[in-house]
Amino acid sequence: MTTAPPAPAAPSDAGPDAGPPEGPRPAVVTRSHTIRYVVVGLVLVGVLVFLLVKGLGSALDFYLPADQAMAQKATLGDKTFNLEGVVAPGSIHATTEGVDFVVASGDVRLPVANTGSPPQLFQANIPVIAVGHFSGDSFVSDQILVKHSSTYIAEYPQRVTAPNGTKR
Amino acid sequence: MTHDLTTTPLEGPAAAHPYSGAATNTRVSPPPSPSTTARRTEHIIGLLALVGTAATVWLGIWVTPPDKVQGDLVRLVYIHPGVAWVALYLAFGLAAVSTLLYLWPRTRSLFWDRLAAAAVEVGVIFNICTLVSGSIWGKPTWGVWWAWDARLTSTAVLLVLFLGYMALRRVPAEPEVRARRSAFVALFAAIDIPIIHFSVDWWNTLHQGATVLNANLSPTIHGSMAWTLLLGFVALTLVFVWMLLVRYRIGAIEDWLAANELDLALAERQAEGVAASRVASDPGPAGGSPTDRVGVA
Repeated sequence: MTTAPPAPAAPSDAGPDAGPPEGPRPAVVTRSHTIRYVVVGLVLVGVLVFLLVKGLGSALDFYLPADQAMAQKATLGDKTFNLEGVVAPGSIHATTEGVDFVVASGDVRLPVANTGSPPQLFQANIPVIAVGHFSGDSFVSDQILVKHSSTYIAEYPQRVTAPNGTKR
Repeated sequence: MTHDLTTTPLEGPAAAHPYSGAATNTRVSPPPSPSTTARRTEHIIGLLALVGTAATVWLGIWVTPPDKVQGDLVRLVYIHPGVAWVALYLAFGLAAVSTLLYLWPRTRSLFWDRLAAAAVEVGVIFNICTLVSGSIWGKPTWGVWWAWDARLTSTAVLLVLFLGYMALRRVPAEPEVRARRSAFVALFAAIDIPIIHFSVDWWNTLHQGATVLNANLSPTIHGSMAWTLLLGFVALTLVFVWMLLVRYRIGAIEDWLAANELDLALAERQAEGVAASRVASDPGPAGGSPTDRVGVA
């Protein structure tokens, strides 16, 4: 890292009214600049390492589809991971602790018992990610994430605007 | 970049300005100033960007229908992908290309370095807007503000890398040395751009796939929603171009100041000295000892 070049020396014939004598930039300024560069550099490197460790440290895949999870059930044991699947229609039942539902992935259908309220877009036929672990033949989770698609379709594609401006 | 310090100083009324080197032996080139055509182009692009953005907001909020799944939450699609498009592909893409053109011996010019720096600075703003708008969209749809998936993490990594690029440019150095250092960081950071783009295809991510720039290049958005999304892309592109032009112009002035810093200081001192000498030779009605003023030179 390069430090700031010293300022040019002040004229030696400065008069008595010239104010504080100027000379080479005081060392403390250069040192403080150097410290600032080092601190900024360390902070940026620290944040970068934090992001890489948090984001890439465990796995590049954010979730495991339910069919793959079932295939690895013995290996996974009661380890916490992110399970993905589509919410099966007619399987959503509110409970005192949260909501029970079934996720489908491939040929696999896996019951999920979730504690807590799911996000507002939670509904049948939508892909979700449940954060939890296997418990017997079902999956116990304490957080639901909705994984919506990248397709956008108008809610009422046939809707027209009446002459008075109202929507029908 | 070299500045021609033998350029004829400004004449006429402006000659009293210290930059002109008037009444001194120091000759400093005038600060860079865009042509009338360039300024007019900048103004037109800025106006179009403003109109385009306003039209996108109007269409996005009041005209387009709600989405079948997301309802009114879909209205963020008119902002978030467009902002990400500017940050990742336009700004940082341009920075990478400019950097390569700087490093290529046949096209080496500090113009490319300055253009890359301007693009990165604007790109960092759009990168922050990408993360913020995505987070605002993610909370009601996904249910979380943030998730450590590959798309989000790699986008945040890119921001930190280009913040490092900007920080490195603040370290004092000769322009060529600064350009070479910056080029290394820019190219290293640019490796992350294709990783971000393909992350949703390479790995299982919470972030949805591409709506427009997907594998089939077949947008999965319909009707007026698609046209509004397209308009948003165009409007934000114009915003980027306008910001890039302004930032480049400021960068040129900054480089001029840095290159002429010593000469400007000398010119100012010499101008002060001449003024003091005049006062000393003509103390005026108020009187006073000439030696009281000579010292300030």
